[in-house]
Amino acid sequence: MANEIKRSVTPYKLFTQRKNNNSTRFIGKFLLYFLLFLSAALALLPFYWMISTSLMTLGETINRKWLPAVPQFVNYINAWKEADFAKYFMNSVIITLTSIIGIMFTSTLAGYAFARIKFFGREVIFAIVLSTMMIPETITLLPNLMLIRGNIIPLPGGSWMNTLQGLTLPFMANAFSIFLLRQFFAQIPYELWDAARIDGCGHFRFMAQVVLPISKAPMMTVLLFAFTGSWNAFAWPLLVTTKDTWRPIMVGLWTFVSEAGPETHLLMAGAVISLLPVLVIYFITQKQFTEGIATTGLKG
Amino acid sequence: MIEEDLKTPQRKYSARMRRFTENITGYLFVFPALLIIFVFGLFPIGYSIYMSTFQWRVRKGDFIGIENYSKIIGDWTGLVIFIAGIGLLILAYLLWINASKAKSNYVKIIKFFAAILLLAFGFVISIGWDKMILLGDEGFLNSLIITVFYALGSVPLQLIIALVLAYILFQNIKGKELFRMIFFLPYVTPVVTTAVVFRIIFSPRETSLANILIGRLGIEPLKWLFEPKTISELMFGLKDLSGLLAGPSLALLTIILFGVWTFVGYNTVIFLAGLGGIPKEVYEAAEMDGANSWDLFRFVTVPLLSPITFYLFLISFIGTFKAFNHIYVMKVPNAQKTVVTASVQIFQTFYTENNFSVAATEAIILFLIILGLTFAQNKLLGDRVFYG
Repeated sequence: MANEIKRSVTPYKLFTQRKNNNSTRFIGKFLLYFLLFLSAALALLPFYWMISTSLMTLGETINRKWLPAVPQFVNYINAWKEADFAKYFMNSVIITLTSIIGIMFTSTLAGYAFARIKFFGREVIFAIVLSTMMIPETITLLPNLMLIRGNIIPLPGGSWMNTLQGLTLPFMANAFSIFLLRQFFAQIPYELWDAARIDGCGHFRFMAQVVLPISKAPMMTVLLFAFTGSWNAFAWPLLVTTKDTWRPIMVGLWTFVSEAGPETHLLMAGAVISLLPVLVIYFITQKQFTEGIATTGLKG
Repeated sequence: MIEEDLKTPQRKYSARMRRFTENITGYLFVFPALLIIFVFGLFPIGYSIYMSTFQWRVRKGDFIGIENYSKIIGDWTGLVIFIAGIGLLILAYLLWINASKAKSNYVKIIKFFAAILLLAFGFVISIGWDKMILLGDEGFLNSLIITVFYALGSVPLQLIIALVLAYILFQNIKGKELFRMIFFLPYVTPVVTTAVVFRIIFSPRETSLANILIGRLGIEPLKWLFEPKTISELMFGLKDLSGLLAGPSLALLTIILFGVWTFVGYNTVIFLAGLGGIPKEVYEAAEMDGANSWDLFRFVTVPLLSPITFYLFLISFIGTFKAFNHIYVMKVPNAQKTVVTASVQIFQTFYTENNFSVAATEAIILFLIILGLTFAQNKLLGDRVFYG
C-alpha cells in the first residue's frame, strides 16, 4: 500500500526508497519472527521441561539431560498408582463436574433474570453482585472456613470439612459468569419474546427453548471458565481437605512436592497428569477461550 | 355479550397480576445465585469486620474495639500523614493533567509545581510510614511493601511484552492463531502445576535449568527462590538499604518472572482485541505522511491503544494486590519474609498462627486498600472503561 502512495514522488527517489524499504522490510520481518519464536519458546520451555523430566530415570534428572535416553513411561504408572494420583484425579473430576453443573444452573437463571425480567430492585442487586468481583479470595477464606466447619451457624451433619458440598458449594455462583451471560441475553431481540408470549410461553420455557439454544457460544465460555476455575482451584481445597477422602489433584500434587523429595521425575509425571484434562479441553476449544476473554475483558 | 362486559376489569386485574408474577419470577430466578454470593461472598466481609473487633484466637474472646487496628497501624498520626501524602500525589496528578489547558506561558510553571508536589508526596509518605512502622505490626506493614514490589515489578513488564507481542501478531503473520494459542497456554494451566515446574527450573542446584542458562552467559549459579538477599545487594553489594529503597529480593524477582510468564498471554489477547478496534484509515493517513513502521507503532498504535493499556494496567495492579496462589506455591522457607505479600501474610496469620482476629483485621485493611484502588481506577478511567 505504501508503494502505491509513493508513486507520486520523483522516479529517482522512488527507486532508492523502494530498495531501502525492501531490505528494511526484510530485516523487520525477520526481527518480528525472531521475537515471536523466542517468546513462544519461552512460553513452552516449562512444558518441555516438565514432559522430558517426567520420562527420565532418577539418574538422568540428577545429571540434568535435555532428553531421556529411553522414555520411562513407567513413571506415570508409578505416580498414578503409588502416589494415589488415581484417587485425586477422580476426586477432581467429581468436584469439577458438580461445580460446573451448579454454576451453569445458577448463572443462566440469574443472567436471564438480570437481562430480561423486570423485577423490583434489579439494577441495585446486579450492582451488588458485580461488586463482589473485586473481593480478594484471601479475605473470604477465613470466614468461609468457619462457616463450613459449622462454627457460625449449625450445619446439617455437623462440619462440612472433607465433604463434596464443602468443596463445591462456595463456588456454585460467581459474578463473572452471571455478567457474561447477562450481556449476551440482553442482546436477544424483544420480538422473539413477544412472539413466544403470544403463544402462551412463560419465562422459564422461553429461556429453555428459545434463549439457551441460541446462546451456545457464551454458555460454552462460561462452562470453560467454570471448568478451569474449579480444576485449578487451590487455596480453598487446601483448607477444607484435611484427609484425602475428597482431596483434589492440585492439593495432592502440592503435598507430593514434599513427599517426592529428590524424585523429580515422579513429581513431573504427576504434574503432567494434573495438567492433561485442561490441555485437552483447551486445545479443542481454545477459540472460545480467547474470544470469550477478549470480548469481556474481565479476569475470570 | 357477557364476555364483552367482563373484558375491561379482567384486563386490569391481569396486568397487575402479570406484574406481580413477573416480580416473583425474577426473584425466583436470581435466588440460587444470590444465596450463594451473599453467603460466601458478602457475608465474609461483614463477619471479618465483626471478628476484627474481638480478641479471637480460634475461640472468641473479649470485645476490644479498634485495638487490633491500632496494633497493626501503630501510630494513627502516621497514617494521617501518609494519607495526606497520597492527597499530594492526587493534587500533583490533577495539576499535571490540567496544565495543558492553561495559557502556554504558564504550562511549564504549573508542571514545575506538580513536580515539586510529587517530591513532597514521596517525602511526606515516608515520614508517615516511618512513624507507623516504628510501633505497628512490622510483619504486615512489610508485607504491604512486598506487595508493592510485586505489583511494580510484574505489571509494567508484563504489559510491555504483551503489547509488543500483540502488535507483532496483528501484522500479517503466518500462524497467528497458533502463536496466540501458545501465548495464552500459561494462563489456563493450573498454577500448582506450573509452580511445581518453576520450582525445579529455578532450584538453587548448579544443574538447574536457570543456572545452566545463566552459566552460558558466564554468571555464577544463583540460589533463585531460596535467595532472600535483595538484587541491589547481589549486583552492587549495597547492604545498608532498608524498606522501599532496598528493592525486591531475588526470590521475589523469580516469583515476578513466574507471574509475568503466566499473565502475558492474557494481556496479549486483550491488546489484540484493542488493536482490531483501531480504524485502518488512521494508519493509511499516517503512511501517506511518510511514517515508517516504527513511527506507526509509536505515534498511532501506542496513543490510540492507551485507554486499553490504562485499563489493563489498573486491572493487573489490583490483581497483584489480590494475588495469593502464585506467591504461596512458590514460597520456600529460605526466602524468609522477602516473598510474603499481604495476602500470604493474612493466610499465614490464621492458618499457621491461628490468630483469627488479627487475620480478619489485616484482611479488612487489604480490602480497604483494594477498594481505594478500584475507586481510583473508576475515577481515572471515567467513561473510558472498556467492557467490550
